Amino acid sequence: MMLFEHHAYANRWRSVSPEAKGAFSLCGLGAVFLARTPGVAFGVTLILVLVTLLGPRIPLGSYLRVAAPALGFLALSIPTLVFSLRLEGGPVFHVEPGGLLRAAQVLARSSGGLAALLLLSLSTPMSDLIALLRRLRMPEVMLDIMTLGYRMLFVLSGAVQDTVTAQSARLGYSSPRRAFRSLGSLAAGLMVQVWQRSHDLHQSALSRNNDGPLRFLEAEFPGAGRQLCISALAGCGLMVLARVAA
Amino acid sequence: MNSPSVLTFEGVSYRYPDGSRGLEGCSLSLRQGSRTVVLGPNGAGKTTFFLHCNGLIRPSAGRVLMGGVPLDYGRAALCQLRSRVGLVFQNPDAQLFSASVREDVSFGPVNLGLDRSTVKARVEEALEAVGMAAFADKPVHNLSYGQKKRVCIAGVLAMRPSVMILDEPTAGLDVRMQQDLLAVLERLHAEGMTIVMATHDMDLAYAWAEEVCILDQGALATQCPVEAFPDQAELLERLGFGIPHVARLHRQLAARGVLMGSDVPRDFEGLSRLLEEMSAF
Repeated sequence: MMLFEHHAYANRWRSVSPEAKGAFSLCGLGAVFLARTPGVAFGVTLILVLVTLLGPRIPLGSYLRVAAPALGFLALSIPTLVFSLRLEGGPVFHVEPGGLLRAAQVLARSSGGLAALLLLSLSTPMSDLIALLRRLRMPEVMLDIMTLGYRMLFVLSGAVQDTVTAQSARLGYSSPRRAFRSLGSLAAGLMVQVWQRSHDLHQSALSRNNDGPLRFLEAEFPGAGRQLCISALAGCGLMVLARVAA
Repeated sequence: MNSPSVLTFEGVSYRYPDGSRGLEGCSLSLRQGSRTVVLGPNGAGKTTFFLHCNGLIRPSAGRVLMGGVPLDYGRAALCQLRSRVGLVFQNPDAQLFSASVREDVSFGPVNLGLDRSTVKARVEEALEAVGMAAFADKPVHNLSYGQKKRVCIAGVLAMRPSVMILDEPTAGLDVRMQQDLLAVLERLHAEGMTIVMATHDMDLAYAWAEEVCILDQGALATQCPVEAFPDQAELLERLGFGIPHVARLHRQLAARGVLMGSDVPRDFEGLSRLLEEMSAF
């Protein structure tokens, strides 16, 4: 999470409008699904990865680290599409007819979708994304939950760290049994903290005259219109390329 | 000393839903343009007092007046009250909503219904006032505790209140951060803002305030100008505070005939100056 945060706030495309980045990512996602063959979809994925590495200048190491969990999940699930277990005459694994092609399609589309999402999320801070969703007329209640949830992630992760440190200092994790007990009390303590924090935030909101949706001054992106045109053109080009390439 | 009262409490009592006492017949008034410190042991009712000032809770008995007029708890009147009385909470993480500094500071002005350009100007001005302009585009969770406190103050400043209430603003700050914060408050006070602060730091209270209110068990134990503060030794000792170190040292020096007939200085720098002047004669 902190890797996403770090790069979202410190990349070369930080000042590029979220609309432009969102449009290109969406087109990239569309291109992956429009591709007629897995090979073309892999090609689109490669383009999206290169754009992320060369445009916002996300280091390859960081990119691989944030992509690793999703790729690991894919690596675990792809074999189940290729192989199946036959029980007649003793259990034996065999390759499903058409399984390889299906697996290649799923792999290409999933990794393409991942690349498109990483392009957006590694180059755009969450607050800009929430502002973008507000402009796209997402329901206010969803945006409020996102705003508070995102902020609370950091507040509560700090609280978790403090509690775990305090528990460890009093031998709370010195044996598996004690570790289970400590984890239980950590979860219970966090529940109370969540309740207290929500009460405090409510009072804080009221004290600053809020009685409805959480509204903020949105960041300005000079040249947003031009950037959106360029990204939409590039994105459409990518989709056309994906569709016509054999 | 003759400036009018900005906020007045008349016999205000409040009990929390769990039955615990918040305030018990609390009567006091805050002077316009003053620097007031609210002292009291934990559970004395300081935070409850502040929540009343901002209209976040209503008295169970008694009344709160602003400018001599009882508070109206209707929606529009509360909106007006909260734009005049800003409250900075003790824990910055309980106040900061947005993950972005600029966004969070804009929260209050946006709620006031101001137009975009005015909000933008106020946000820049408030961040500048607390020395956080360079951090406007930083994420809140990457700031230090002291920086978060300053963003909280900016968030309230951007609403341009005439009274700013700070609940233990120096708690958890190192000496440098405390000095920076006090410098910010000094500037705001010089611009005419009424500042009310809760603290447990007696030396800070004595050096900074013009007026002191001491709360005990939900009621006002005493309210006096800061010059008379060391005279409250008995009460301060009973509450476990003791008198400010500089006043204690001044008394001991006076008792030994080193200092005579001089006013009690407010801080050690003042005492040092006094001693230098004495030795020059």
